[in-house]
Parts: sequence; structure tokens; C-alpha cells
Amino acid sequence: MGRESTMKPDYRILAYITREKERVLTSNCLTLFADSEESCKEMTVDIAKAMKADVVQLTNGDYMILRV
Amino acid sequence: MEGQFLSFEDLSVIITAVIIGTLARVWVLKEDYRQYPSYPNGYLIHVITGFVAAALGAVAIPALISKNFVAVTFLTLALQQFRDVRKMEKESLSDLENTEYTYRGTAYIDGIAKTFESRNYIAFITAFFVSLTTTIMPLNLWINIIAGILVGVAVVFFLKNFTKGKSIGDIAQVKEGKIEVKDSSLFVDGIYVSNLLGTDNAKKLFKEEGMAVVIHPNENHYRINLDNFGQRQAALFEATRALGNKRYHFTRKDYEQGRVVICLVPIKQDIDALIEVVKKCPLLESSKKSHSVMKTNLKGE
Repeated sequence: MGRESTMKPDYRILAYITREKERVLTSNCLTLFADSEESCKEMTVDIAKAMKADVVQLTNGDYMILRV
Repeated sequence: MEGQFLSFEDLSVIITAVIIGTLARVWVLKEDYRQYPSYPNGYLIHVITGFVAAALGAVAIPALISKNFVAVTFLTLALQQFRDVRKMEKESLSDLENTEYTYRGTAYIDGIAKTFESRNYIAFITAFFVSLTTTIMPLNLWINIIAGILVGVAVVFFLKNFTKGKSIGDIAQVKEGKIEVKDSSLFVDGIYVSNLLGTDNAKKLFKEEGMAVVIHPNENHYRINLDNFGQRQAALFEATRALGNKRYHFTRKDYEQGRVVICLVPIKQDIDALIEVVKKCPLLESSKKSHSVMKTNLKGE
């Protein structure tokens, strides 16, 4: 649920799945490259299910798996 | 030896006051179903603490009359006991936080704990007035007892109304919200709520089974209460507890018009129940800051 700006955000980014190699950067979270839209969706759903996490699709088409 | 025992009159006064005080506690325990301990052990705990509170109130007058002023100091015990009731309830509900569908939130827990504390005062004050009336009436013992019971009932009615809080339905309209899913974003009545619907399953689930209500404040200053994070958390908690929660639950406030959105994917599909439960969600004491809010007409139009 939405948290107020004064509160400490209570979320963690668990994984980032992208179809652009340039966006695969080192970071705290797992960043994966998918070669097709289908594979991107599959990976996202599988990881989200395993981690019991939520998924956000960014407007650039990438997926971010996070726990709120 | 004879002076060490209570007279029949004193015993009658104390027993009557204890019974009426305990019954007062039982009555207010049933009065509000949201703050009612639905577990049998919780019920027993509160009846017993109510009994102790009533006993403390009942013996105060006979102790004073027998010039046992030292004994009256045990009233301080009463205060300590009531504070312990609040503490116990707070700890108990806080321990359960991680097992619920959503968090009650510290503001709501604090309000519930205060309610439990004040309900012990109701038992205490009722027993005290029953004891006082029965003792000072110059009539026959049985008539005095009947008068004490009547006064007790009047006191409970007064205190019940005095301590009765307001609910969201008193200060706002609660209406069904129209759910829209655009890409991975969720909108209710055009208000952006969340973009956590990134997967096809999530979108499908919300489109088919999602339910939402929008709270429209009657006056602009009621937004002070409704925008309060603890208040929205309490409303969401009541919604998920009443209908269950299959997946996803959000609250969101609209800055422009002060509307508040509560939406979720419930187990039980009943929009009327969702509207009703949000309407009946108590206004938290901690969110009340404005005198104009306190003067709200409780009876409605």
C-alpha cells in the first residue's frame, strides 16, 4: 500500500528483467537480460512466484520485481 | 469477632454493585462488534477484569462508611489495573499484527486498547454508583437495591453514549469505485492507485475480482481525519478482515478532492458489505484534532 513520504519506504527491489543489454548494470538486485518478450514475462512470473513478490512493468517494457 | 464480619446489608450492597458492574462490562463488550474479542479466551479475560473493576468500585463506599480510609487507597490499584488492561490489549494486538491480512496499525491498536481501558472504568463507575445509591437511600434494603440497580442502568446508558465514538460513515459518503487497469497501473474512479499489476495474472485478477470503494468527505476539513495514514490503514484492515483478502490491497488518497480509495481483491465478493464495513470503521481518536469535527451531528440528517 502507498506509504507517506515521511515514512521510511518499506520495499525491496528483488530483480530487474530487461530486454536491453545496455540496461543490465551491476547493482544490489539481480539484473537479468531476456532475449524475447515471452522469455521476459516467463522469467518475471517465475521469479515473482518464487519470491512471493509483486511485479511492476515499466513504460519502457522492462519488469521490476519488488516486495512491498 | 463480630465486628470483623460484614453485615448482611453491606454484603447485599457489595454483591449487587459487583453484579451490575460486571453486567455493564459484559454489555459494552457486546456493543461494538469490531472491538469485540471474538476469541472465547479474550471474552473471558475481559469479563474477569470487568468483574475485578466492579468489585473495586463496589467496596469503596462500604469502606468509607466503616471509616476505613486506608482501604480506599486501593483505588489506586484500580487505576493500575486498568492501565494494565490497556497494555495487555496493546501487546496482544501488536503480537497478532504479522498474522493478519493487513496491519491494524499502531494508531488503531492504541484506540482499541484505550477503549478496553475505558470500558473497565464503566464497570468501576457503575458499581460505585450502585453501591452509593444503595447505601445512602433511607428506605428498606430491597427498595434501596432496586433503586441502586436503576441508577446503575442509567449510569451505563450515559457512559455508553458518552464513550461512543464516531465512524467514517458519520463524516463521509462511501461509494463503490470503478476499477480500471491501464498497462500495469490500477485506477479507481480515475484516481491512480498502484502500478504493481505488472503481470497478466495480476491484471486479470483485478479486472475480474477486484473491488473498490471511494470515500468522499462531507466537508473539506474532514480530510484531516480521512487522510490520516492510521485511519486509512484501519479502514483497509476492517475491509480485509470482513471480506478476506485473496491478493492485493491498496489505499490511496486523492490530493485534489480529498477522496480516499480502498481497494482489494477479496475472498468474499460483496460490495455492499465492503461499503458497510468502511462506513462503520471507527474514527481514530488519534486522528481527531479539530473541534469542528468533534461537533459532528452523530445522528446524521
